[in-house]
Amino acid sequence: MADGVAVHAPQFDDAEQQRTASNLGIWIFLATEILFFGALFAAYAITRVRFAEAFAAGSRLTNLPLAGVNTAVLLTSSLTMALGVHAARHGARRALIGWLGMTIALGCAFLAIKAVEYRFDYLEHLVPVLDFHYAGPQADQVELFFYLYFFITGVHALHVIIGIGCIATIAVMASRHTFSPAYFTPVDVTGLYWHLVDVIWLFVFPILYLISRS
Amino acid sequence: MTRRTDTRPVVYVLVWLALLVLLAVTVGTAYLSLGWATTPLNLTISVTQAALVMLFSMHLRFAHPLLKIIAAIGFFGITILIVLSLFDVMTR
Repeated sequence: MADGVAVHAPQFDDAEQQRTASNLGIWIFLATEILFFGALFAAYAITRVRFAEAFAAGSRLTNLPLAGVNTAVLLTSSLTMALGVHAARHGARRALIGWLGMTIALGCAFLAIKAVEYRFDYLEHLVPVLDFHYAGPQADQVELFFYLYFFITGVHALHVIIGIGCIATIAVMASRHTFSPAYFTPVDVTGLYWHLVDVIWLFVFPILYLISRS
Repeated sequence: MTRRTDTRPVVYVLVWLALLVLLAVTVGTAYLSLGWATTPLNLTISVTQAALVMLFSMHLRFAHPLLKIIAAIGFFGITILIVLSLFDVMTR
């Protein structure tokens, strides 16, 4: 496998066709992911239009500095993943493992910062069901904002956890010399998933943290 | 079938820097009193950032047209979902 000869399963004409099929499969999955988060964004859009002031008030209670840093962390993890895929394409095994390790570290940092943020939310009595107290007007609508906040960020964090698991699996495969310039589809496909989780966060961040703070 | 043209690492770094600059701009809008313009501005920046990631990091600019269509269908689907839902809510 490592000698650069293209390997492909018997149902494909060649490695190129196999690679296209894999990419087609992951992109169809990613499109369903976009639709899945789209339903949450639609729920958010409808409730925000109806309760604009309460959503602005809720948004002001979120932790923008931590979320801003977290966005930068996630964007950086996307860079290290892209460089990892590049290393895989050029058969640089050690570099690939290094970049994957950095991506995992940044993904864990994202989750850690998220956990700190959740802890602050809990201390400020902003967690619906567990402990929610809001003294201002429209408390129910502000609580609705926090339901959406925890659901959207929670489901996104779940995707990050799954992504870290996938990247760790790829790193183990790389350490066992599974990949070569002729075959690195799992690295490529995992990278696409990781980038999409990043893309989704790029929309989650402004809609939850940036509504009329001034 | 897929035309695979390599992307140089420096391109990924430039895209990353552009994404960070856009992040700084979008965070900055939160502290300015831009009124109703804030959200459209935030979303425009998000779409630009998403486009950068998808075209460069996800190699969509070199991808087979079929993949581009599938990616577009996802976004087209949620646009329909959100816009038509809002038509209903906002015209009641």
